[in-house]
Amino acid sequence: MILINIESLSDNELQHIAQMEGLKDWNTLQRDDLISALEDWFEEMDEGGVPETNGQVNYGRYTNSLTNHRGKAVHFKDLPRTGELPPSYYDSTIHLLLRDPQWAYAYWSLPETIQGNKTSFDDEDHSGESYLLRLHQYELASGIETVSDIAVEVKDQEWNIHLPAMGCSYQVELCRINADGSEDVIARSAKVETYLPYWADRIEELAMDNDLFLLHFSSLVTKTGEVAENVVLKDLALTVSKGVLS
Amino acid sequence: MSNAKVAFVLNAHLPFVRHPEYPRFLEEDWLFESISESYLPLLRMLNRLKDEGVTFKLTISFSPSLMAMLTDNALQNRFVHYLQQHIELGQKEVQRCKEQQPKFLEMARHYLDGYILNLHEYEDLYRMNILEGFKSLEQSGHVELITTAATHAYLPLYEEYPQAINAQIELGVQSFLTTFGHPPKGFWLPECGYYPGLEEQLKYHGIKWFQVASQSMLLSPDNVTYGGYRPVRCPNGVAAFPRDYQATSLVWSNSAGYPTDNVYREFYRDIGYDLDMEYIRPYIHEPEVRVFTGYKYWAITGDTDQKVPYNRGEALKRVKEHATNFHYMVNNKNHRLRDTMDTDPLFFLGFDAELFGHWWYEGIDWLEEVIRTSSDRTELVTPSSFLAEDTTALQTVRPAFSSWGQGGYSAAWLDGSNTEYYRHIHKAITRMEELAVRFPDQASLKQRFLNQAAREVLLAMASDWPFIIYSRSSVDYAKKRIEGHLKNINLVYDDMCKNAVDTEWLVKAEKRHTIFGDIDYNIFNPDRN
Repeated sequence: MILINIESLSDNELQHIAQMEGLKDWNTLQRDDLISALEDWFEEMDEGGVPETNGQVNYGRYTNSLTNHRGKAVHFKDLPRTGELPPSYYDSTIHLLLRDPQWAYAYWSLPETIQGNKTSFDDEDHSGESYLLRLHQYELASGIETVSDIAVEVKDQEWNIHLPAMGCSYQVELCRINADGSEDVIARSAKVETYLPYWADRIEELAMDNDLFLLHFSSLVTKTGEVAENVVLKDLALTVSKGVLS
Repeated sequence: MSNAKVAFVLNAHLPFVRHPEYPRFLEEDWLFESISESYLPLLRMLNRLKDEGVTFKLTISFSPSLMAMLTDNALQNRFVHYLQQHIELGQKEVQRCKEQQPKFLEMARHYLDGYILNLHEYEDLYRMNILEGFKSLEQSGHVELITTAATHAYLPLYEEYPQAINAQIELGVQSFLTTFGHPPKGFWLPECGYYPGLEEQLKYHGIKWFQVASQSMLLSPDNVTYGGYRPVRCPNGVAAFPRDYQATSLVWSNSAGYPTDNVYREFYRDIGYDLDMEYIRPYIHEPEVRVFTGYKYWAITGDTDQKVPYNRGEALKRVKEHATNFHYMVNNKNHRLRDTMDTDPLFFLGFDAELFGHWWYEGIDWLEEVIRTSSDRTELVTPSSFLAEDTTALQTVRPAFSSWGQGGYSAAWLDGSNTEYYRHIHKAITRMEELAVRFPDQASLKQRFLNQAAREVLLAMASDWPFIIYSRSSVDYAKKRIEGHLKNINLVYDDMCKNAVDTEWLVKAEKRHTIFGDIDYNIFNPDRN
């Protein structure tokens, strides 16, 4: 998880991230404490540790990861003349990748002339400019469009974007607000779509009908009552089981 | 009342790791451990059942990267050396246990016998190519073989790059055809990663069925009549088999699955870490890097460091109990479902093949017991045999975006630890497409240069690297690999833009990454199809 400008996230978004990461007390901590807990968490993760969780994050046996043999052994050498990966490709592009139906990851590139690396060909003064991500949300059923803006800085190159609803397609634009207030769309992503599950607004039917529950839900619950890990599924599970399954 | 129909599908896959430039290379052990502890014992078990006339059906997917390693002469020779070393260590262990730890002597002999048998079968029976053994089982009708994406790329994160998706599928199918002599009917979606529309490319390459994660049915935008208990047809006619999370979790759960039973062998206690350095040094990696040797004498015991010695006899008794329990659980569910459904349910269980034998030492014994005791309890099918024999028309629905990874979507492969690589991989794909369009149908050196770039793009796309980084296992190696491939593509791109070919680089790169020997870089040309 990348926490970019953590202060700009809403309380709900912070709680969601904390819950996903398995932090204890994610639902009771006040905003400042939640931010502090998340910062500590990621600092510890960056140092290679595995912080204590309430059991939601599994690093245990019988996962499909490969054995870590490496230890302190020496690594293989790169082939000749390969150099380093560039920090950016300095073109005007933005991409939106669906992480799950509630979150997408956006990354983008700006021309070198903009991204703090002025060349001799660029004597333009960029002061007074600002940048934003414009999220277009199109409801698939109605075609209704909603637009929301996220302020970013010129040094930013990526963002985790909360997707407010399922059953929508999303597209993000990277926009420059010029000193005179005019806007330029620098790059536009391809659309990504999220579908509303058939059962999303019929969940009571599932809850009331044993046969439907058996067919549709029981294959997703272990013999010990754990629901397959899935953010959308867990919301449905809470409703369908009236809080028993979680 | 008919018995429960169960489809076991094993996904045999490892990332392409081959470093002939070093006398011995740590991560090559992933392959050697898997052949020694999973693939050869699995072959042995299946052939034993076949020879005894036991009826069974099983599906195994071989990834193209694994097939390339299993047929690579250098790796084959290294595996023989690996076995010889383990036999030498076993002989020393038998002697040491006799003198110092007689309670472990039986297991030391058991492991030694296994390595000796592995060497004999590998060299004499399979002539160093175990794929021939699986091919034979397919020809006798016991196994359905299928394949997966060329380098096991997690496909939903490449939806914007249809040419790369096409390359992954086309090369997967081609590799399978070359190895087994016929096209695959089924296609294992890497990590069960599915996005709506992926079936179009699968159909184009002749694929009849693929598997999806359990939740793809409940979360479908359509009302799926039989939930997760029947395959469905995608709108284009390709069949999708939902994996049964509940039945799979009987085995594959690190909190309550059968492998967590306390009498089973503890994977993490190994003499490679437990014995004195002086003794173990010749069998670990230089310089004094302790590794798993496969000689493990302790039982899981519980959440304690005070392990009890492993008792093979007790473990095999538990295997029988767990096999019985498995039959009971699926048949119990089958009976309940038959009261609700007007047709046969299907229980589709998908696992990584390396779970059996390598991670779960008794896993192959369990699978054998399940098969042996299935005749009067459970009907084993393959997805293809189910489609051929089942008379009920499949419902046409749209499966939902999903994977079997943590969170059920793309979170494991798009985590804060690994997101930085996608801008580079995506750029590598677009650069490869650009090169294929600008320099079509080249010959000689330029053709080799571009073919190597295509290999590097595909290798960078492997799902293994971001997953290893995410799971914090062999992070340094995974980063080095993914960055190395990306740097190589950039070098080819820069040189081709100058109309140059770096022959020194090319020769070294071809020698290092030998996968897909007959690749044609024009596969990345969007104008080609």
